[in-house]
Amino acid sequence: MQQTQQMQQTVVDHIDQAAEDVVSLVLRGPTGPLAPWEPGAHIDVALPNWLTRQYSLCGDPADRDAYRIAIRHDPLTRGGSEYIHRFLRRGRTLDVSLPRNHFPLVSAPEYLFVAGGIGITSVMPMLRAAVASGTPASLLYVGRSKASMPFADELTSRYGDRVRVVATDQEGRPDLAALGSMLPPRALVYCCGPASMLDAAKAAFPAERLRMERFHAVPRQFVPNTEFEAVCARSGQTVRVPADESLLDALTHAGRPVVAGCREGICGSCELTVLDGDPEHRDDIGASAGRMYACVSRASSPRLVLDL
Amino acid sequence: MTHTSTRPRRVSPAEVRARVGEPEAMIKAKVLDRIDDHSRRFIAHSPFLTMATADATGLADCSPRGDYPGFAKVLDDRTLALPDRPGNKMADSFHNLAENDGIGLLFLVPGVRETLRVNGRAYPTDEPDVLARMQTEAKRPELALVVEVAEVFFHCGRALIRSRLWDPASQALADEIPPVSEVVTAQLGIDIDPAALVQTLEEGYRKLY
Repeated sequence: MQQTQQMQQTVVDHIDQAAEDVVSLVLRGPTGPLAPWEPGAHIDVALPNWLTRQYSLCGDPADRDAYRIAIRHDPLTRGGSEYIHRFLRRGRTLDVSLPRNHFPLVSAPEYLFVAGGIGITSVMPMLRAAVASGTPASLLYVGRSKASMPFADELTSRYGDRVRVVATDQEGRPDLAALGSMLPPRALVYCCGPASMLDAAKAAFPAERLRMERFHAVPRQFVPNTEFEAVCARSGQTVRVPADESLLDALTHAGRPVVAGCREGICGSCELTVLDGDPEHRDDIGASAGRMYACVSRASSPRLVLDL
Repeated sequence: MTHTSTRPRRVSPAEVRARVGEPEAMIKAKVLDRIDDHSRRFIAHSPFLTMATADATGLADCSPRGDYPGFAKVLDDRTLALPDRPGNKMADSFHNLAENDGIGLLFLVPGVRETLRVNGRAYPTDEPDVLARMQTEAKRPELALVVEVAEVFFHCGRALIRSRLWDPASQALADEIPPVSEVVTAQLGIDIDPAALVQTLEEGYRKLY
């Protein structure tokens, strides 16, 4: 269990404008190869302004010397993307986490990839891997305008008519339901994009063949918070988690800090192993059995025993 | 506090100018009427500032504001926004600004000797697009302060050099300051268990947002 997450040092090797409001970064390992990854993986990037942000790796997993990520400037957020767009400079060192993958590419006889806007980043390495393995695959790439869509030309020139680029200001939104009705029987659908696209995908494709990745947590209602106890099994320490405090913060304040990223249950940085008790999961990742995410999830039993 | 016969002599404004001297033209020219790229980079890396306001009578007040670097948001080159984080709920600054909207900010970046001064006029807002940029730890502030910028300039580093503010050795000074529990007990004249007071205080410090 990670308590202090292992980080890797990288150097900002390139900053390129990939589309209007999108830059792509190439991060190079200063001393040698970076940790390996598979399509669908993301890294936490620790920015100089103390914010940690998650970005999908969109380069080639075979290139062990560098990671590529792409970032859209979102002005209505805390300032991670603004920092990268406006202040980050070439040559600066950046600490990044080991790659994590909540969106792995499962083997299938055929794939349909559906990407909206910056969601293209997690899907690009999947398409690359599918094509390299000779698996039939196609990509529907949707954006609000051609100029706003990173890597559209690169994808079209590399993969030809496997790729369909739709700019909604020209063509309107594509009909996912029509795609769903034509979906080959055993094809898997991978979708990454804004909430509106994920909702459309859920309506259009059978749930058991659809894999999705979110940018933001889904707004939901939960039962009212209650106080509970977290027992750290390794140290024997018992930490009280008041109703108005997250498990993550309570552990941190009790001197057992847990690495955290998004703090909204989508990035997976703060994963904990649960040895006993019933976690009340509030994340958007889908915690596997015996795991929970300390930033949002709480307990439905009076106490949890954690492998800490 | 009273000043009677021992009150120090007052120096007239003209005499002050005569003794301080005239600023060089270059110093005057460095006062910008907007946030340029250098100021913007400084603000983006500043986790701490002091905020000076005054009420209608001129009674002045200065208070600290701090958060992650760049917590003061540049909305455009004439406008800043500062989050209102939980504090002592005295809202001195808001009270002053309601009567007198003048404001003076001094931005610091740890390790940098120069500081950035931003003066202007300010008012409170609850504009969702502004508050969305200030959300931390899944909470967003109830209010923010919008600062309409009139003057922006870098202040030279002499004060920070003389004060050795960023010298780690200077932190030894903290050893000579009594714990805040002792100060509160003495100032309020209350008889309270110092350990309980420390605990209350530390509990409060856990709720930073």
